[in-house]
Amino acid sequence: MTFFNVIRWIVWKDLITELRSRETISSMAFFALIVILIFSFSFSMDQQAAQEVIAGIIWVAFAFTGIIGLGKSFSTELQNDCLEALQLVPQSKGAIYLGKVVANFSFIFVVEILLFPMFVIFFNLDVVEEISLLLLIFFLATVGLSAVGTLFSALTVQIRAREVMLPILLLPLVVPVMIAAVEATKGALNGDPLTMYSQWLELLAVFDVIFTVVSFWMFEFVMEN
Amino acid sequence: MTAISCHDLSKSYGHYQVLHGIRLTVKKGECFALFGPNGAGKTTLLKILATLQRPSEGRYEILGLDGLKERESIRANLVFLAHGAHLYDDLNAKENLQFALALRGQTPTPRDIKLALDRVAIGAFAEMKVRHFSAGMKKRLALAKAILAKPKILLLDEPFTALDAAGTEIMRAYIRERLAEESAVLMSTHDHDKARPVISRAGMLRQGTLREISIETLKADDLF
Amino acid sequence: MIIHRAIRKVQRFQGWFGGGAALCIGVGLYLGLLASPPDYYQGEVVRIMYVHVPLAHTSLLAYLVLSVGSIWYLWKRDPIVDNMCHAVAALGAVFTTLALATGMIWGKPTWNTWWTWDARLTSYTVMLLILIGYLMLRTFIDDQEKEARYAAVLAIIGLVDLPIIHFSVEWWRTLHQPQSISMRGVSISSGLLVPLLWMSIGMSLLFSYMLMVRTQLLYLDRLLHAKKGRLLSQFHMSKDDS
Repeated sequence: MTFFNVIRWIVWKDLITELRSRETISSMAFFALIVILIFSFSFSMDQQAAQEVIAGIIWVAFAFTGIIGLGKSFSTELQNDCLEALQLVPQSKGAIYLGKVVANFSFIFVVEILLFPMFVIFFNLDVVEEISLLLLIFFLATVGLSAVGTLFSALTVQIRAREVMLPILLLPLVVPVMIAAVEATKGALNGDPLTMYSQWLELLAVFDVIFTVVSFWMFEFVMEN
Repeated sequence: MTAISCHDLSKSYGHYQVLHGIRLTVKKGECFALFGPNGAGKTTLLKILATLQRPSEGRYEILGLDGLKERESIRANLVFLAHGAHLYDDLNAKENLQFALALRGQTPTPRDIKLALDRVAIGAFAEMKVRHFSAGMKKRLALAKAILAKPKILLLDEPFTALDAAGTEIMRAYIRERLAEESAVLMSTHDHDKARPVISRAGMLRQGTLREISIETLKADDLF
Repeated sequence: MIIHRAIRKVQRFQGWFGGGAALCIGVGLYLGLLASPPDYYQGEVVRIMYVHVPLAHTSLLAYLVLSVGSIWYLWKRDPIVDNMCHAVAALGAVFTTLALATGMIWGKPTWNTWWTWDARLTSYTVMLLILIGYLMLRTFIDDQEKEARYAAVLAIIGLVDLPIIHFSVEWWRTLHQPQSISMRGVSISSGLLVPLLWMSIGMSLLFSYMLMVRTQLLYLDRLLHAKKGRLLSQFHMSKDDS
């Protein structure tokens, strides 16, 4: 019972803190907006090329935006040595991990939903029929990013060069998420029938399950002392 | 009854050895004070006992629980008031207490919380965000957390820093209360004058070695 | 100062590995570079394969050893296992880089391209990135125990991930690009197989030898640091008392 309580409280604490300070979501959203504008501008002379690579652009933007949020997840625990307090928690640390994953997922997903209309506007995308599928893709991919990203956020927060080590370690590991998300998004934006790209959604789901479990287990070793 | 016992604890960071073969016992109902110059290793020893770090060599027991193997059980019975206050700037005092206690699996009633806040004399600031707290107020709020947690082992890292005269007396009263309830207290401190009334035994930690000293001969200039 | 018992055991036969490696590689290079015929299609260039293929196999072996070692370390917490993990990761990164480089040198004259993002190369490169990340991580952590633990976590996550990475990349490539370059297409005649075997065995022996030596080096370095620390603090303490 305490296990689920701890998850609840961690999620509550991160959400309330964000609601009051608005640091994480605003910086992520603004960063994503800048990335979208830069890409749009860079491809403005070659709309054809842009349409072909738009799925990749979307996920590059979301991945780097996500990394910002993931980094903040544990660096905010450094204030007043709160990370120490988390290490002193008597019960299984896994509950802290799951709480953080839920919070991180929420922030990244919210930013994705807020910024996707910008993509639609700047790249003239036609998405009305596919919107629920796109949301599903965003959901599955973001779970994958959050599952591995939360673990490595905790791991890198205590080391030197933390801001640069998080992307360096995380990006190679989430290659399957990137590939699957880009392919599925491409299929959805093209209006292809779902059967053509459902394999990618399955891959995302499998990745999510495997890495939530493995990261949950490994989190104990990162937070132990 | 022994609450804390260390057997030849050593700790090194790379080739820098911080603690050498520490032997220490603290009984229930006892308050042991660690004195020593900066960099002597007092905080490191406290962190090891608080299960925040592992010793490089040696072992220790807390309440009969093995320090290397039963760390979760130890943590459930222990509160460590460390240098950092373990508080979230964007939460108010009440919320910080609720969160901290929830992580320990405890759910204090609003009345408990109010009593604890009043006891450390920050009851008026219950709804104020910790961002606006002074260092002394943060120390008091951390103390309120300990009051609610009722730990059997209390580890204090320089507890009197940043506390004014009233705060110091509240801290001492709390330590006395814990001792009366058969808890063990281990504190590191510079403030010989402030700590003196509550100490049972004392030790000098100098360059990683611990030597017990008698309280009677404790004079301010002896300490360094 | 207590030297780990494994070191005494290993020192007894590591020389055999080193000697064996020199022998096998010597024979392999002689057979490969001088005594065997050039390939019908590829000409002399195919001789790079004698170095490239063993390097690649050994690098995969290195990652396997790293994974097993990391799991072992998290379980038993034996410091020498951690030293071995560090050593094998560095060796693995070097062998992987050399394999990629020799592969490029082979590729340019044979298929007229330095590089291609085919499934195998892509996942192989990602493995190299993980190894480099692993080595960087180790550099940036000061606490020895934390370094060992975090590195082990990274290696284990990488282990679970690599099959998924390979699988997803392969799926992706088969979707978009029929195999224009296929390593599997290279059929090996028996004349080429024998030197390859010698080189493979020799390279594995060399890898094992280098691993043993480097692990001991790292372990002894750690012991030295600890001893230095003890002596330094004793020195300071005795200075104090006078």
